[in-house]
Amino acid sequence: MKNVVKKFPGVTALDGISFDIRAGEVHVLLGENGAGKSTLMKILSGVHKPTSGEIIINGKAFSHLTPYDSYKNGISVIYQELSVINELSIGENLFIGRLPMKKLGFFETVDHSEINKRAREILKTVGLNRDPKTAVEELSISEKQQVEIAKAIAADSKVIIMDEPTASLTSSEVESLFKIIRQLKKDGKGIVFISHKLGEIMEIGDRVTVLKDGGYVGTKNISDITQDDLVTMMVGRQISKNYQHENFDFENEPVIFEVVNLSRKDNKVRDVSFKLHKGEILGFSGLVGSGRSEMMNAIFGAEPKSSGRIFIDGEEIKTPSPYSAIKKGLAMVTENRRETGFFHNFDIAKNISILPFVKTSGAGGISGLVSKKAEAQWADEQRERLNIKCYSTKQLVSELSGGNQQKVILGKWLAADSKIIIFDEPTKGIDVGSKSEIYSLMRRLADEGKGVLVVSSELPELLSVCDTIAVFLEGKIVKFFSHREATEENIIHASTAQESEET
Amino acid sequence: MPTKMKERELTFSQAWQRYGTLGILVLLLVILAILRPSFFFKTSTITQILSQSSVNILIALGEFFAILIAGIDLSVGSVVALSGMFMAKLMVSGTSPIAAVLLGVFMGALLGFINGILVNSTGLHPFIITLGTQAIFRGVTLIISDSSAVFGFPASFSRFMAQRIFYVPVAAIIAIAAALILAFLTRQTKLGRNIYALGGNRESAWYSGINIKLHTLIVFVISGICAGIAGVVLLGRVGSAEPAAATGFETYAIAAAIIGGTSFFGGKGKIFGVVMGGLIIGVINFGMNLLSVSSTLQQVVMGALIIGSVTLDRFVAGRK
Ligand SMILES: Nc1ncnc2c1ncn2[C@@H]1O[C@H](COP(=O)(O)OP(=O)(O)OP(=O)(O)O)[C@@H](O)[C@H]1O
Ligand SMILES: [Mg+2]
Repeated sequence: MKNVVKKFPGVTALDGISFDIRAGEVHVLLGENGAGKSTLMKILSGVHKPTSGEIIINGKAFSHLTPYDSYKNGISVIYQELSVINELSIGENLFIGRLPMKKLGFFETVDHSEINKRAREILKTVGLNRDPKTAVEELSISEKQQVEIAKAIAADSKVIIMDEPTASLTSSEVESLFKIIRQLKKDGKGIVFISHKLGEIMEIGDRVTVLKDGGYVGTKNISDITQDDLVTMMVGRQISKNYQHENFDFENEPVIFEVVNLSRKDNKVRDVSFKLHKGEILGFSGLVGSGRSEMMNAIFGAEPKSSGRIFIDGEEIKTPSPYSAIKKGLAMVTENRRETGFFHNFDIAKNISILPFVKTSGAGGISGLVSKKAEAQWADEQRERLNIKCYSTKQLVSELSGGNQQKVILGKWLAADSKIIIFDEPTKGIDVGSKSEIYSLMRRLADEGKGVLVVSSELPELLSVCDTIAVFLEGKIVKFFSHREATEENIIHASTAQESEET
Repeated sequence: MPTKMKERELTFSQAWQRYGTLGILVLLLVILAILRPSFFFKTSTITQILSQSSVNILIALGEFFAILIAGIDLSVGSVVALSGMFMAKLMVSGTSPIAAVLLGVFMGALLGFINGILVNSTGLHPFIITLGTQAIFRGVTLIISDSSAVFGFPASFSRFMAQRIFYVPVAAIIAIAAALILAFLTRQTKLGRNIYALGGNRESAWYSGINIKLHTLIVFVISGICAGIAGVVLLGRVGSAEPAAATGFETYAIAAAIIGGTSFFGGKGKIFGVVMGGLIIGVINFGMNLLSVSSTLQQVVMGALIIGSVTLDRFVAGRK
């Protein structure tokens, strides 16, 4: 790609970017939220038409690509929001658009036995142990991703682009993804890998290109640089690794939030109790499905609990619904921004103002008027506080880059100005620089006397912000670590080891 | 310059979204004025279009809310008939017109309430629930009327409904007032904001503290009230309550909302658009009568125009 420029109304997303992909390499694309990474890749896949510049594939030059050109020339993209069709089987997904047919008298019908035969072979190469007839909706996120990769292989792609493929994966799933990527490299495919997780980039990348504000910063061989170099290239400064106060003795501070013997009927949470002191940040670790989000949902009233008591400042509160939880001073940044986070039909300002409006309404949340002035003010506050990149808070959220969408979700919940804030995977898709700003923000909130609870699958994140880490296993808290005793090893051990002891 | 062009295109598509339906309406009126200038330039024409559109606009205003939460209300035609019949029965049996009208509108609200309760308690899609209540409400209308028309309302009622204030018929004033109140509700109240939120994303709405069932219930009550008011207006215009009144009116109401830019997927649309949509249908109806198109052919033309105008709208608005 040479000198590619892309302008959206109000922003120049790409300002003369050149980028090349070689066979058999993993080329990492790195940059802050809104730097233009996804846009660059969408130009390759034919979603966006570049304003100027050219694209050269095997010596052939194009001024722009249509999705069909892109497919014909062997380019496949795996978007962060996966595009597999849930209702179809794995096999059908692999060959969608060019299903093998067979003659049946006068008619042509889809040749299912052929599909399944070929699908089985391809699934083997990506290490997915599933019957091709299985419906895709039964698969986990990482399995769906494997189907996407298999789809790219089935299309005989030369270039496979992965836009933040690891954002929702657990560490063991990331490992198996890397195994597949290494195999693809051996087969001579060119891979573009977008991620905000620097550790992963160092592990899997061959070369890295850094973008900043739509401009080109540089391309380097991974072997020549360190993780800190990457941060400097990207953010322009070094960032802090720890956000805890040294020698802070929160045990002597009053308890501001307490949960006692919380359980759910479905047994996903069993008899959980914990306390949060003033100024303390409490993190929750554990494997996916260990019950952390399920517990938060129950506390927040979004899903039913069967027993348990919740206290804020020593006073018991009842949370039969999110409405009552919000009214009593709880907020919860939910894990999944697309499904439980934003309103795609609302602009940024309306998304951010929904909670303050709900919070100040009466009669079960229906009475009262909206105020445009207050709305604009809340939106500007959060835009500034979280450094949301947009040209106006009247912009639709869907026009923002992935990380900035996540910041809008954070802003939405912070705008509620709640006493206790639950963050469930708060930094999904957020760049390293903004992450550090968000960690500082959490610390500031705690210092101001707010309760901060963090659920995260990224251990480094918990280790650098939390004063205490609770480890979940099969719906129970099995251990609390203070940040001084917590290490990746002993947390991982606690979140898995118990299992073998019990059985 | 490429940037310049982009900006102009953007404003054009924005302008279309805002005023496109108004454009279609003006276009239709111009066509009509060219084809039948003698008729067109009479105040009675405007009056007639307004009073004919009022019933449809009123029903469409309620339908709009049902579609806004990604649902639908197929029972509106039957609600118009049943609340109208109820009102008529009250009036002929001596109840004062004011009390009868209020009770009739209340009946509309009650029928909407039943829809809402059924949707909430069964969890079924409103399409199924209101398809069922459409039949039930119509059946009840037939039962209470003994399948025959009711007429002979007090003169005060008929006189009031036939009035004009500065050439504007009372029916139109009622529709405009309803539209203004509902526009206020959608734009200025938290209730309105919450309904848009619910239509945009149910899950997000629930997590944001919006009571899904309460808002669903309110939406169907609004739809019922609007249909109840439409029942009053229809009674005034026709002068009798027919058991088969307003049959098929849900189609026109849905069409008015959709032509007016309401999204079937929920969360998008404006009251102004719905009023425009209702007027467009009114003008098409009036125009075809004026051009003496046979009533059978009118159906075909109407259907084609609905598809045509929505396609045109999507085509222009969706152009990048
Ligand atoms: N459809 C669109 N309309 C208007 N602006 C857009 C659109 N898509 C992207 N942008 C803008 O282009 C810029 C680059 O966005 P892009 O999605 O490429 O960022 P990114 O590097 O992928 O960031 P992230 O790490 O947050 O995913 C942003 O400022 C974004 O707001
Ligand atoms: Mg992106």
